[in-house]
Amino acid sequence: MFRYLGSACLLFIACTTICVVQAQKLKDPIQFGTVGAADFAAMAPVSQADSAAPAEILCDFGKSRIEGAREKFQVVFERVTRIRILRKAGYDWATVQVPLYVKDNSTEELQKLKGMTYNLVGGDVMKDKLDISKAGFKEVIDKNHRLYSFTLPNVREGSIIEFSYTIKSDFLFNLQDWQFQHDIPVRWSEYRVVIPPFYRYKQTVRGYLPFALEESQVVPYSTSYSEDARDSFGNSFGNSGHSASLSGQALQVRWAVKNAPAFREEPYMTSASNYRRSVDFELAGYDFSRNGNEYHDLTGTWEKITKSLQEEELFGVLLTQNGPLTAEAQLLLKTITGAAERAAAVLALVQQRVKYNGQERIYASQSFRKTCEQHLGNSSDLNLLLVQTLRSAGLDANPILLSTRRHGLVQTDLPELSQFNYVVAHVALPDKSDLLLDATEPLAPAGLLPERCLNGQGRLLANTGRWVPLKPTKRYMQFTTAQFTMNDKGGLQGKMHLEYDGYAGLETRKQILELGEQGYQTQFTRRWSDWHFTGPLTMTELQDPTKILKADVALTLPEPEAPAPLLYLPLAQTLGQFTNPFKHEERQYPVDFSTLHDYLRMVTLTLPANYTVQERPTNLVLTLPDNGGRFTYNITQSTPGTLQIVSRLQLLKSVYTPDEYTALREFYSRAIAKHGEMLVLQRK
Amino acid sequence: MRFSSLFLFVSLGCLPTLAAVAGGKEPHYPVTTLAPTLRENAHAVVRMEDETLLVKSVGRTVRTVRRATTVLDEAGAEWATQLVYYDQLSSVSYLRGAVYDAEGQLVRQLRTSDVKDYSLSDGFSLATDARGRVADLRQPNYPYTVSFEYEVVSDNSLFYTTWQPQSAEQLAVEQASFRVLTPANLPLRFQERHLPKGAAVVRSQQGDMQVYQWELKALPAQEEEPYGPPLSEVVPTVATAPTTFEVQGHAGTLTSWQGLGQWDYDLNMGRDVLPEAVQARVAALVKDAPDERTRISRVYDLLQSSTRYVSVQLGLGGWQTIPATNVSSTGYGDCKALSNYCMALLKAAGVPSYCALVLADEPDIHTEFPSNQFNHVVLCVPLKKASKPDTVWLECTSQNTALGYMGSFTGNRHALLLTPAGGQLVRTPRYGAAENRRERSADVYLDAQGSATAMLRTRRTGLEQDQFSQLMHGLDPVQQKKKIAESLPLSNFNITKFALVSDAKAAIPTINETLGLTLPQFGTPSGRRVFLLPNLLSRLPAVTMPVGERQTDIWLASAYAHADTVRIHVPAGFQVESLPTPVQLTTTFGTYSAQVQKLADGTIQYVRTLRMPHTRFPRTDYPAYVEFRRKINAADKAQLVLVKTES
Repeated sequence: MFRYLGSACLLFIACTTICVVQAQKLKDPIQFGTVGAADFAAMAPVSQADSAAPAEILCDFGKSRIEGAREKFQVVFERVTRIRILRKAGYDWATVQVPLYVKDNSTEELQKLKGMTYNLVGGDVMKDKLDISKAGFKEVIDKNHRLYSFTLPNVREGSIIEFSYTIKSDFLFNLQDWQFQHDIPVRWSEYRVVIPPFYRYKQTVRGYLPFALEESQVVPYSTSYSEDARDSFGNSFGNSGHSASLSGQALQVRWAVKNAPAFREEPYMTSASNYRRSVDFELAGYDFSRNGNEYHDLTGTWEKITKSLQEEELFGVLLTQNGPLTAEAQLLLKTITGAAERAAAVLALVQQRVKYNGQERIYASQSFRKTCEQHLGNSSDLNLLLVQTLRSAGLDANPILLSTRRHGLVQTDLPELSQFNYVVAHVALPDKSDLLLDATEPLAPAGLLPERCLNGQGRLLANTGRWVPLKPTKRYMQFTTAQFTMNDKGGLQGKMHLEYDGYAGLETRKQILELGEQGYQTQFTRRWSDWHFTGPLTMTELQDPTKILKADVALTLPEPEAPAPLLYLPLAQTLGQFTNPFKHEERQYPVDFSTLHDYLRMVTLTLPANYTVQERPTNLVLTLPDNGGRFTYNITQSTPGTLQIVSRLQLLKSVYTPDEYTALREFYSRAIAKHGEMLVLQRK
Repeated sequence: MRFSSLFLFVSLGCLPTLAAVAGGKEPHYPVTTLAPTLRENAHAVVRMEDETLLVKSVGRTVRTVRRATTVLDEAGAEWATQLVYYDQLSSVSYLRGAVYDAEGQLVRQLRTSDVKDYSLSDGFSLATDARGRVADLRQPNYPYTVSFEYEVVSDNSLFYTTWQPQSAEQLAVEQASFRVLTPANLPLRFQERHLPKGAAVVRSQQGDMQVYQWELKALPAQEEEPYGPPLSEVVPTVATAPTTFEVQGHAGTLTSWQGLGQWDYDLNMGRDVLPEAVQARVAALVKDAPDERTRISRVYDLLQSSTRYVSVQLGLGGWQTIPATNVSSTGYGDCKALSNYCMALLKAAGVPSYCALVLADEPDIHTEFPSNQFNHVVLCVPLKKASKPDTVWLECTSQNTALGYMGSFTGNRHALLLTPAGGQLVRTPRYGAAENRRERSADVYLDAQGSATAMLRTRRTGLEQDQFSQLMHGLDPVQQKKKIAESLPLSNFNITKFALVSDAKAAIPTINETLGLTLPQFGTPSGRRVFLLPNLLSRLPAVTMPVGERQTDIWLASAYAHADTVRIHVPAGFQVESLPTPVQLTTTFGTYSAQVQKLADGTIQYVRTLRMPHTRFPRTDYPAYVEFRRKINAADKAQLVLVKTES
């Protein structure tokens, strides 16, 4: 298997540590404003593929530390970045956007912004300073988000640009995260974090690229913290109170990546964040006591996360209240005996009442009553309502937290709520099996999670919590049967029956919903572009997602030429054209499908009476190593006048490693070649 | 407080009686009253739209919209959301909404807290003031009806409303009306397009105000036809514009292109002054230039190597450029700023030039209706001293575009020159089949198993190279190769070589492509035979025949000429069994030919040409066009058969 792509550990220094060897003060890898003529010297590319990179990051250096302030602690994040612009296509790197977060009275503030452009003109370094008053803009994106944008002056091919800024943040819960890889090569990227003894953080490291440096050491630490003076009612009346100086030792952790090639996305990938080297943090606990024995664990365990969620107004508390669909749920309890059937009925009820607004969330945005009034809500609004209604219908239902495919893979050894962005419902059936339900997708039957949810494991929030695999319960399955009769000029006439099961059914129903039936039909005919459709595409079971979606159509293939002694039929015409989904020879990261795939095609061909088969394709079986896939092609002549072709392509894994890629691509290539083979008929 | 609650109690007490009489609340737009002809092929139906433009003064307008839309299915759900645009020069007075079920009973009212306020950052601007109020009333069950009401007060009277109630495909309109109220001293200018009979303006007087009114009824849903004009050029539209206007104290008249150009010229006048040092540098740069064109070329090189495009759109800054001195010190600007800066540089080189407004990347402006229809600025340099009158057009936001080239973004359309004497409408260059060429030469080496290696050389010029120029300048070679791999119309291949090189010496922009391929499936072996499709990469798909009668004229994107030569090198032991018959098509649309022949050395040579010199044809020609494309498609798929010689 492929190497596990993330790791987690706890970062802290105990207050009680008495004897530590003080380390040398670390030198910064970069100082703002120190670019000289030597820095413009040509350098060998970071990798062969990056020989014509539009720009490259020479050095990206970040530091985070926690400092005391008035009545609070803050995270102080400093960054210095130096980029060389190599080509005009790299000019966009001279415009920088810094997103900032605000909530209630807590803010992130950008300070000490500096920028400089260096150009080498006749051996001299010309400097142009960033003028913030003209080239800096702060924009209010929405209630909680601000965007600070700036652009550097006089950028040309060959320029070196540099900027540095500080963000002071009230949000101690998350330290600033750090991304070591970008769309352009990075020569050196380093991040340092200083954690004082009274805070503990959990860190998550993701990605594949090796660290050039990964070390921690104890460093001296001091900061001051001031308390406001208060009257006897506890009201603050200004900053005239006492201030305290805290000093001691802190843990400094340091990571660096050297010569990172440009990160390029590949088809069939989950979130790029799963593959890029990065590190992020979540506050684990604190201890402000003198002797370090009053540790307050903020996350600690999955059990604690479960408990804290249960106490949340817009999560657990909602589930304890009486829901707006209770009466209907109780009616279902009386009328439907089977637990699975009842769960499916409750799912349909919630889907009928509320539409998904497309927002992936773990917290509800409002009360169940309001969600039902608006008929609109986020993933948590819908699926917590679903859990509550399932319970009202007498089912053992609980929420499952998960992370969608574009949000990244959950690391089960890291109890952090921020790993999740989505909620679905779980029902424990009487036979102890798990049934997973998601009300956001009205086209998905009970038990079939939308593709975005098929991502590792989800955390079941029940009295005894556990991990539930988010595996597809069904394949992506397409089944086609066709009967064609050939006339003596080589034209074909016949009918085709198609079935879409599992995720193929979900996908096709979605397309029909988005395009309309007529639009879908147009798209369908485009896939069979050489054929004439003699009737409409008739869909059955379009409305009921629990059934296999079926389509029937009658069609003819115009005769290519006048009667000839030899007739040629490329059998791909009857089997349906397909192209190799793997266009590129190289693969860096795993191919990650969400489901297994199964395409089965059966064609019965009735030949013209006055012709016999002169050449026909041979049978073929292809398999991928490790039972990863199978292609079978069988052609039989049951009577002198009929041929039957059965082709089946199965992808039996959902993830293929880069090592398996070449075989997978070749597998497709050979299957396509087999489909392309010719039937040759000779006149008797 | 107490009194009002008592009052409320009393009125509540009355309600059941009223309801008993009326048999329920008055329904709003029940679906049962909707004509079946309007439901046909529609995802949504505008039940009622009532739009009013109130001209308060020369500088202020108030736009009020009331609209009720029945959403019939998921594909129409976007009509259940409403975005109201505003910026530094305009504000939203209110946005109200409600949703009704299929029977027309109120489901809920939109609350103020449900309305979100977002920045409409376009993703490429450094700064923009565009913002939106957004409401979402989508429902899980269809059909349902949403109603929205909003008002926008604008201090930017340069733009009046363009009324187009049927603004999208598969949207029907039951009833829609548009009114403009304006003081007599600010008469309205308007242009009616594609209005049905009887829908022309009705004028009246209301107090001091002149009233202009239009009404449309029962417009069935429409679909954009393939190779037709965009829907916005086909549906009923009323464009309106002021006679006089004022933005931030800058007044103008809009009765002619001259007037609009004058306003824009005056707004930007005096902003083309350069620091003396820069002027001196330009003078030195062109000192020994033998002619005007060389001077322009050197200045354009300087512009392209020392500036870049950065967009800042704030308030009046949407029309007024930042001064040339700023661009000279920072090296960046938007289309106005870079054109103005280039104009200043050319002035220092002794070459007069004019900024010109264009509508880029969209169908051309409506020239018969002077109004601000533009979204981009380029620079126009008339060559006064040339032997024959000529003009050099400069795209100043690109660091790569060739001197004088206006591609598909800005070419073949009208531009408004901004001169001291006001605006003057002129045409930008048009490129025809002689300029837009693709010439391809391929050598394919086949082996006995049917697999092949191929080396293709393709030369693209004019509009044919636009996309490849972007690819070449915008992406590194690794990414270029990936893009090409994704676009090749082949089911099985490996790319062994890929390179794009521009030919700087050519008169028109030219890019040469080298492409090496291995094709495991070029030939299909079957017993003694191998089947081949000699048309390797230039197959033109067929066009589907419309179900009903063609409604709109044929609009093809551009004129072009394609020529392909493929030489297939056959392995020893094979000979030709059959070759496709030559095809020669000559039609009003263009000419096509395809021919395969065996050369003396045993090589098989395929030659294909397609020349499409015209782009517009009447709708009645559509069946003939479909037939032309069908024949091309059939010829492009013609196979040849090789057979193993008996040995």
